[in-house]
Amino acid sequence: MSNDIDSTENDGENGIDSQKPEKMFTLKKWNAVAMWSWDVECDTCAICRVQVMDACLRCQGENKQDDCVVIWGECNHSFHNCCMSLWVKQNNRCPLCQQEWSVQRIGI
Amino acid sequence: MSTPARRRLMRDFKRLQEDPPAGVSAAPTENNIMLWNAVIFGPHDTPFEDGTFKLTLEFTEEYPNKPPTVKFVSKMFHPNVYADGGICLDILQNRWSPTYDVAAILTSIQSLLDEPNPNSPANSLAAQLYQESRREYEKRVAAIVEQSWLNFQLQIDSLISS
Repeated sequence: MSNDIDSTENDGENGIDSQKPEKMFTLKKWNAVAMWSWDVECDTCAICRVQVMDACLRCQGENKQDDCVVIWGECNHSFHNCCMSLWVKQNNRCPLCQQEWSVQRIGI
Repeated sequence: MSTPARRRLMRDFKRLQEDPPAGVSAAPTENNIMLWNAVIFGPHDTPFEDGTFKLTLEFTEEYPNKPPTVKFVSKMFHPNVYADGGICLDILQNRWSPTYDVAAILTSIQSLLDEPNPNSPANSLAAQLYQESRREYEKRVAAIVEQSWLNFQLQIDSLISS
């Protein structure tokens, strides 16, 4: 980027550009920082208290990290599929909002 | 051996230490993480104020899918506490959720102290006095509050001497 503005080229009929003061600095380099987060309401599995994107406590112990996936309910609450499958066997409700549990999607 | 239940209990313990809830305290026993000792301090502006009530929490390998067995060790006089210290509280039975942890259980019991549910009495005398003779109820509670200090002092003494 250059501050060397050719005033003659942009010189309009009213001559505003010719009155522009000289630029005081030049932008030579800039660094952008981006933040991101998973697009889910809750990013920690409330059952085992490990991040849903990491393997659950059970799979970590059994070295099955790759098979541990996330499950989302219609209520938009997410858990590890393993944690949830054990819970729904005894009570088919979302442990967080107590609504009837119905699966929205499973996967990573 | 580490199991999912034991790992979850370690997380509960970590959370209790990092973010301790007001008026409750708990720790696993020295050689068994499935058995915890806890203390609930009687909430301010209630008949239980300044009481130091000791409890035990006993977990199974099914935790957190199944609730622990929670009992008062200190003598208690409350409509929803049985003579053996057992507690009649919905979240420890049919309303249990695997999202609860030790901190949540203890704070629920703490708020139960001043908000008894007279519809499911575990101590019929306490329930009756609570509804019909509040002054007598509070007198009985004051007695167990005093007793809780005595037992607490005995425990501290035995810890110091051992």
